[in-house]
Amino acid sequence: MPAQFGPRSDVEGFSWHAPRPPAVFTVSLCVRPEPFATGFSAMLGRATAVATRRIPCGVAAPAVLSIAIGRPVVRVRSFAFAEPAEPSQPPPSSRSMAARVVTTRLPHATRIRPPGDVVKLEDRLRYLLQPSLEVLLAERSLDFPCRPFPHQLEGVAFLFPRQAAILADEMGLGKTMQAITAIRLLVRSGEIRNALLICPKPLVSNWQREFDLWAPEIPVAVIDGDQARRRWQWQLTDVSVKIANYELLCRDRQVLEGDGPDQAIHFDLVALDEAQRVKNRASVTSQSARGLSRSRSWALTGTPVENSPQDLVGIFEFLAPGLISDAMRPRRMGSAVSDHVLRRTKEEVLEDLPPKLFRDAKLELSPQQWETYRLAEEEGVLRLNELGEGLSIQHVFELVLRLKQICNFDPATKTSSKLDRLEADLEEVAASGRKAIVFSQWVRTLEELARRLRRFGPLEYHGRISPQKRETVIQHFREAADARVLLISYGAGGVGLNLQFANYVFLFDRWWNPAVEDQAINRAHRIGVSAPVIVTRMLTIETIEEQIDRILEEKRELFATIFSGAKGPAKLGLTQQELFGLFNLKFPSETIRNAA
Amino acid sequence: MERAGAKSKAALGFLTVLEYPSFGLFGGYLVLNTAGRPLEFHCTAPVKPNRAQEILYGPTLEPFLYGEQIGQTLVAKAKTEPLLVCTDRPPALALRDHIQVPVALVLPDDADEGSESRVAEPHLGGWDSAAQAADPRLPALELVWRIDAAHGGTPLVGFQLGRNRLAVAEANQDDCRLVSERIAQLAESFDLAEPFGRIREAIEEARQGGQPD
Repeated sequence: MPAQFGPRSDVEGFSWHAPRPPAVFTVSLCVRPEPFATGFSAMLGRATAVATRRIPCGVAAPAVLSIAIGRPVVRVRSFAFAEPAEPSQPPPSSRSMAARVVTTRLPHATRIRPPGDVVKLEDRLRYLLQPSLEVLLAERSLDFPCRPFPHQLEGVAFLFPRQAAILADEMGLGKTMQAITAIRLLVRSGEIRNALLICPKPLVSNWQREFDLWAPEIPVAVIDGDQARRRWQWQLTDVSVKIANYELLCRDRQVLEGDGPDQAIHFDLVALDEAQRVKNRASVTSQSARGLSRSRSWALTGTPVENSPQDLVGIFEFLAPGLISDAMRPRRMGSAVSDHVLRRTKEEVLEDLPPKLFRDAKLELSPQQWETYRLAEEEGVLRLNELGEGLSIQHVFELVLRLKQICNFDPATKTSSKLDRLEADLEEVAASGRKAIVFSQWVRTLEELARRLRRFGPLEYHGRISPQKRETVIQHFREAADARVLLISYGAGGVGLNLQFANYVFLFDRWWNPAVEDQAINRAHRIGVSAPVIVTRMLTIETIEEQIDRILEEKRELFATIFSGAKGPAKLGLTQQELFGLFNLKFPSETIRNAA
Repeated sequence: MERAGAKSKAALGFLTVLEYPSFGLFGGYLVLNTAGRPLEFHCTAPVKPNRAQEILYGPTLEPFLYGEQIGQTLVAKAKTEPLLVCTDRPPALALRDHIQVPVALVLPDDADEGSESRVAEPHLGGWDSAAQAADPRLPALELVWRIDAAHGGTPLVGFQLGRNRLAVAEANQDDCRLVSERIAQLAESFDLAEPFGRIREAIEEARQGGQPD
């Protein structure tokens, strides 16, 4: 029983008693083990028995698999190239514009690429590994009067490596400059030493002038004079370029071809300007050109196809005989010549060139003209029908010419609805301080125009103006402020003239072949023109002019088919059948030369 | 590597390597005179490493193939010893360990590529950065900067000569001075990046035109 502590409350009053000592109880926490009697307990009491065992710890050699890394075998193909013919570093003082072009990195680098007919790999690499044309021009320190356009350098790069090539750029893109620069590079690189350029007679002086401008250091000789002099000139070996006209080429054929291949005068390059002159394979001109001994053959023409695909075959008989044939379809023909032809239009390459704007002036004949025209047509057709079997293309052609002349002027009264319109337009041209060129196919028409347009200071450029005077005429037209009008025949002034300072072109009458018209128009619309060129095509309605225009209009597609959609000369010429069809005449069965 | 009979004329060597996934690597080496005209051209048949080489060479495979195998073989074939070998392929700088002529990487001009970010600072990066910089086909945003230089390649040292941006391996940085001495005047007017385009066209032409001898 536990002890009690504290005051006692069971007694009366208050009293205090000493507490009792506490009782102490002791409890043992010791646990007495009482082991069971087992065998294990006995074993613990015994001494531990130790036994030893030997274990081998060596490592066996592993199996090895060897992989040969090897070294790749490198096979090499090597090509060596001849050192350039000229010193590689021109004198610093002769550094030209082209050199400055190269030292600054231009985004445009024109590369010379091997033509498709160069097969040997070494030859192809020789072209591919050349620096850009810009670098080549700089290296040779070639000066230029002005910076060439990129498309012109592309043209040079196209011509340079080719043995057979047509530069068929649209008129006004600078075919002359491109050909001259390519010739210049070939001469300077030692690849050619003796080039011949053939061009129409009126253009000889133009080519000579252009060579002076674009290749002043290249010796050039113009073949002219009497036969003895020409024979001597043909044999000259110290001139790099000879210029001759087509007539002399035919006349001196014997001298050029000699008595056999061994005696022929050889040219490293023969270039034909206005190469459509050789389109007729039967002509003496074509035969003379094809008879020239030569290594390279180039053709320059804005109209490689004037009338039909056979024109192109004719030109290629000079360039690469047998490459194309008359039997080929236009598309296949185009594919076959594609590596040999470079054709660009102004729209493609000269984005900044001011536009060429066409105005078709469709005019009624004056009453007097109409009366004369109607009579002439009736009588003419009657006479043609009376000819019966004796009818020839010549007869038809004469009537067409007669009617076209009446469309220009009434022969008796000299009235002309075209002249009335032209005078009105020229008033505006003169008032604006600009210049105009007027084309006609007849010298007589041009002379009549000169008489009637005297107040505009007209100048004439046609077959009755001597070649010496023609240069003066062009210069005067360019420089004289009061010379507002230049009257040109298609024949004399259709090609090779640079008249980009004239902003108006009038086609007083229409040529048979619109390609020729295009050439005429492009005398004014070419590089250097600063304002739009207004082209007025005059056409009298309900006449032969309108019929011809309609027929030609239907033939636009052929050129585009051959040259892969390139905009070619607008239309092609008339065929014999079409000429007969103008008067509902039956086409004779015999072969007649194409008169158009 | 000196070669007996090598003519010493003022010439520059241009080495590049093209990779065609189906064929392998094609090396091209063009020797130009100081006017940029070709004197020699050597190209290889396709070189394709086997799988073992790809695995075991690891990141050193390209320097081995471009520099030692292709580059060294091509340069050894040339008769003309150049003043300098230029390359537009960073791994080809390894060629320097095998020839006595300085080897420089030609970096593209900013203006040419129209992108400032594409060209890396050559002295900061390893192979990959310079490779990206030298290869305009790679988009600028995918620049890779390796920090494991031991495996990633040798850092570069860049310098300018005329309008040309060049780089050499850091281990050969003395070549900067050597290159400057040799072609400083020439580099004023010589576009050292231009010849690689010619080599690429020539390799393509040779690849299509026939097998090497």
